[in-house]
Amino acid sequence: MARPRITAVVTEYRTNAHAQHIIDRFLWGYGWQGRHHHPPMDLVAIYVDQFGEGDLARDRARRFPSMKIYPTIAEALTLGGEKLAVDGVVLIGEHGRYPQNRKGQTLWPRYEFFMEIVDVFRNSGRTAPVFSDKHLSWNWEWATEMVRTSKAMDFPFIAGSSVPHNRRMPPVEIPQDAEVEEIVGLAPGGVDGYDIHCLEGMQCMMERRKGGETGVVSMHALRDASVYEAMAKGSWEAGGWDARLFEACLCRSHYLSQLRAGFNHVMPTIDEIPSLITTERPVAYRYEYSDGTKATMLLLEGLIHDFTFAARLKGNSELLSLRFHIDSHNPRNFFSPQVNAIEQMILTGKPTCPIDRTLLTTGLTAAGVESLWLGQKRIETPHLAIHYEPTESSTFWRS
Amino acid sequence: MITRRDLLKTSSIAALAGPFVRHASEIDAALFARSDDGRPKKRVAIVATIWNYLSHAQHMGDRFLVGYPYAGTWQRPDIEVVSLYIDQKPGDDQSAARAAEFGFKVYPTIAETLRNGGSRLAVDAVVVIGEHGNYPRNHKGQKLYPRYEFFQQIVDVFEMDGRAVPVFNDKHLSWSWRQAKEMVETARRLKFPFLAGSSLPVTWRFQSLELPFGCEIEEALMIGVGSSDAMDYHALEAMQCMVERRKGGETGIRSVQMVEGDAVWTAGVNGRWSQDLLEAALSRSDTQYGDSQHPQDLANNGDLRKLVKHPAAYFIERNDGLQTTLLMLNGAVGDYTFAARLRGTDELQSTQFFLPERPNVAYSACLVHKIVEMIRTGKAPYPVERTQLASAVLDRCLDSKVSGHTRMATPELDIRYTAPRESHYCNV
Repeated sequence: MARPRITAVVTEYRTNAHAQHIIDRFLWGYGWQGRHHHPPMDLVAIYVDQFGEGDLARDRARRFPSMKIYPTIAEALTLGGEKLAVDGVVLIGEHGRYPQNRKGQTLWPRYEFFMEIVDVFRNSGRTAPVFSDKHLSWNWEWATEMVRTSKAMDFPFIAGSSVPHNRRMPPVEIPQDAEVEEIVGLAPGGVDGYDIHCLEGMQCMMERRKGGETGVVSMHALRDASVYEAMAKGSWEAGGWDARLFEACLCRSHYLSQLRAGFNHVMPTIDEIPSLITTERPVAYRYEYSDGTKATMLLLEGLIHDFTFAARLKGNSELLSLRFHIDSHNPRNFFSPQVNAIEQMILTGKPTCPIDRTLLTTGLTAAGVESLWLGQKRIETPHLAIHYEPTESSTFWRS
Repeated sequence: MITRRDLLKTSSIAALAGPFVRHASEIDAALFARSDDGRPKKRVAIVATIWNYLSHAQHMGDRFLVGYPYAGTWQRPDIEVVSLYIDQKPGDDQSAARAAEFGFKVYPTIAETLRNGGSRLAVDAVVVIGEHGNYPRNHKGQKLYPRYEFFQQIVDVFEMDGRAVPVFNDKHLSWSWRQAKEMVETARRLKFPFLAGSSLPVTWRFQSLELPFGCEIEEALMIGVGSSDAMDYHALEAMQCMVERRKGGETGIRSVQMVEGDAVWTAGVNGRWSQDLLEAALSRSDTQYGDSQHPQDLANNGDLRKLVKHPAAYFIERNDGLQTTLLMLNGAVGDYTFAARLRGTDELQSTQFFLPERPNVAYSACLVHKIVEMIRTGKAPYPVERTQLASAVLDRCLDSKVSGHTRMATPELDIRYTAPRESHYCNV
């Protein structure tokens, strides 16, 4: 097989944007499994939607003349010719200046970019594997259309957050055939940005439970004081979430904020928690799977600054819990396993993780936003009856 | 039975009991529950140089007072700090406040601390944290922490009172290989469990690597950062916990040499340390400096010499012939990584010893958990000879440094021991 050629389609390529962390790895390589790994493929073209302040795209094109900047998505895929001329497309619709709607969703043009990509596929009578960063779209209908299109045209399509690919502390999975009673995911950040990361982390664990994924039936999002009220309930049945699961997440955190001067690692009391959450509003998404599993995703910026997860399995008094390691230094190696998963898809022509995972988390994110928009109202989610099986091997970074 | 002191302590515990213990009744119940197993709490004396914010005594000592996370739960071991000795009390000293809040006493001497104000040894274990504080340095750059002196005063009490208890010593045993040797011999003679060392051997690893027990190692390379003699020690002990698992166990050190500056790179070119091990170790680094806005192949792109203004290499030749090297690469990376070539395998073995950041510095929870294990079981989970060897290697490498970077034969470092087969690093 000839060395694959790939194209990047990005909103903005600047320092610390997702495009930088992902595309730079195709250009410079990255540390992987005990050596400096160079992806066995050539990034030959890039479309950049916005050349904002601190743009790196031109700098990278200068340093790597083999990567040409094209003014349209179609040209970046055809390399200025008539037909699709690359073997893979990396779509990164994250960062840049895009408007927000009334619900607070940033209108990233991921769907629009994707449709332009498949137009080229159609006109060329040929497709190529596609990766799309983070959630598929802010718009649920568009997200379903993206997945439907990839299936109808039969091209490999993966998407989502880097969290499922990342190192886990400890490196564990939900055991095969385990029945999961309840899960809690805990993350920093805000709605429509970090919720998707946390939901993807939770979902990559959940999808391995007994029976595979069967979908989500309801979503109830809480914000501000309602979050603390629910937290004080101490159990799902009482209207909150299992206090032990929440504590397990806090125990897994390496960035547990401290209230008392002079102490560096003390578990806060429930009464102290609100005073630690100051920069973003606290959020909880309480959702129920159709097989009965209860799930709570918490965004508690200020209390913690990392991603943790805990699960209560049926017939097991010990909780399963872990931390997704998102390292905080340059060059942000938590992008490395995601880039590797993209490479593997392009090399093998097989999706390395289920697109339906990201379809579900996209739907959960939109449902959470909708529930908040409706005044923290519980909503039924029949459209999230998404059934899928996990890939045989997990992509999380182990070796 | 709950004691009056336990009751007095509940007010402080209430503030530190975690999100879902809010009422005094719940706390009392928790205390009774722990007492019901019939075993009294183990009493611990802490002997430390200094106790202020983020000193080792604070972030390790506090874990005995407020608990710590391990394996996804907040651990509250049946251990009670009953007494404290603090050598230096600068303006930001916290020892008096801790003693008042948690109901223990600070004594003016180590002997009184161990006897808890009485006439005989009154504790079940001693935790020595002789790190941080204002102490002089010698001509080799070693900070003269009084760990040996503390240890001698502790064993004086053991000998006088006719009883010895487990001792933990934070970091290297002493700046002096002779003192370190004497400390280990004393513990052996008095037959008390003695655990010591760095948190690096027990912290998380990326990836989860443990060399196969009894493997044949052809060469090992460690990369470290930070100052001497604080951080090179950590790196040496991290390397030691990996190579001690080799076939035949640790056989001791035949010679050491430390070189600095261009001699480090020249030694690499001459094959004294291997380029492929450098690449393997650096591939595990999560912190790159220099042009770090993008990933860098620092082992091969030629930038290492520019980034590292003052490189140092510590060459450690073992009695069984194994060559091991520590490279201190300040300016290039910010973490601790390791690589080894095993006989009969094509792939190099490599990992990062992960140090979680401030303020939680969660690595110290991994180490405290091992101290707790010793106090509970009466057995040191891994041999103190590991720390003795790392202490002694550092001392002699610094002799090499001040003796014109010459190779030093080290018959006195004939430290032989067998590593535990089981893993002790944090992976649960």
